Amino acid sequence: MEPGSQVDEIDGQDGFERRLATLMHGTLEPTPFEPRHRERLRAGVRTRRRVRAVYRAAGSAAVMAGLGLGLFLWPHGPTENPPGAPLPRPATSPAPGPSVSRTPSPATPPPNPPGTSPGPTPTDRPSSTPTTSYPPGGPATSVAPPPTTTMSAHR
Amino acid sequence: MEQARAGEYDAFVAARWSVLCHLARLLTGGDRHRAEDLLQEALVKLWFAWPRVADEAPEAYVRTVLARAAARSARRRWWGERPVEELPEVAAAGDLSATVAERSRLEAALARLTPRQRAAVVLRYYQDLPDRQVAQTLGCPVGTARSHAARGVARLRQLLSDVIEPVG
Repeated sequence: MEPGSQVDEIDGQDGFERRLATLMHGTLEPTPFEPRHRERLRAGVRTRRRVRAVYRAAGSAAVMAGLGLGLFLWPHGPTENPPGAPLPRPATSPAPGPSVSRTPSPATPPPNPPGTSPGPTPTDRPSSTPTTSYPPGGPATSVAPPPTTTMSAHR
Repeated sequence: MEQARAGEYDAFVAARWSVLCHLARLLTGGDRHRAEDLLQEALVKLWFAWPRVADEAPEAYVRTVLARAAARSARRRWWGERPVEELPEVAAAGDLSATVAERSRLEAALARLTPRQRAAVVLRYYQDLPDRQVAQTLGCPVGTARSHAARGVARLRQLLSDVIEPVG
């Protein structure tokens, strides 16, 4: 490239910039491409090739390790397939069992928890007597009981 | 195939060695050893990119690698330097011709710029690239490249005022 060959084509250059461009081109000193440069380049290429090969091998090993770990931890693998919960039944079962019946028959009352008497529940008798006691925070059910005299007396 | 590639590559490097050395030296502010390291790195990269860029613009590829590496060189803390027992060769006194003195002043002034300013100035005034190509080479917006070049030239204007006389 001739020194300053395109300098005049670039707009907006003053004298200093043109002189600077000329100076940069004019200080070029011929440097021969020596055998030591060639050898150094070849050595650099060999080194970089080795590094790339190592990176490729490491990358492949990492991918294989990741795949193996993924397969090992896969929850539906062939080695670990425990019998889980029974499949959900269809909504309209042809043979409904007693466990899915929502209408208890009068002959078979629902069992009570051990240690509790089959007394009346708040829903059965809304007009409960003042002797009916609730926990201090109120009953856990969504049905709000009528205020009792004992609770209002404490306030 | 490999032989042909090596032959073409060697021919290109041998033909453009002087120019690329000079470019690397300007980009590093006259640091010859850093310039050689940068050029070595760029040419090794060129070897692996040769099948892609050989028919297009291998010199532009090397220029881009060189300029970007030089522009980010300030962020690197270690340049691979190792202590040696003997100092490398120093310039002998008395052989400073006018050209050598001029070059030394220019390189010393370039060394006072920031790496990005230096890269922008060198690409603009040594490689004669327009702002758009300077920006493309450095991988930055055009305005940023223009700003780096303008600030670098303003600084050089101060530093080289006694070397480069104003031309009427």
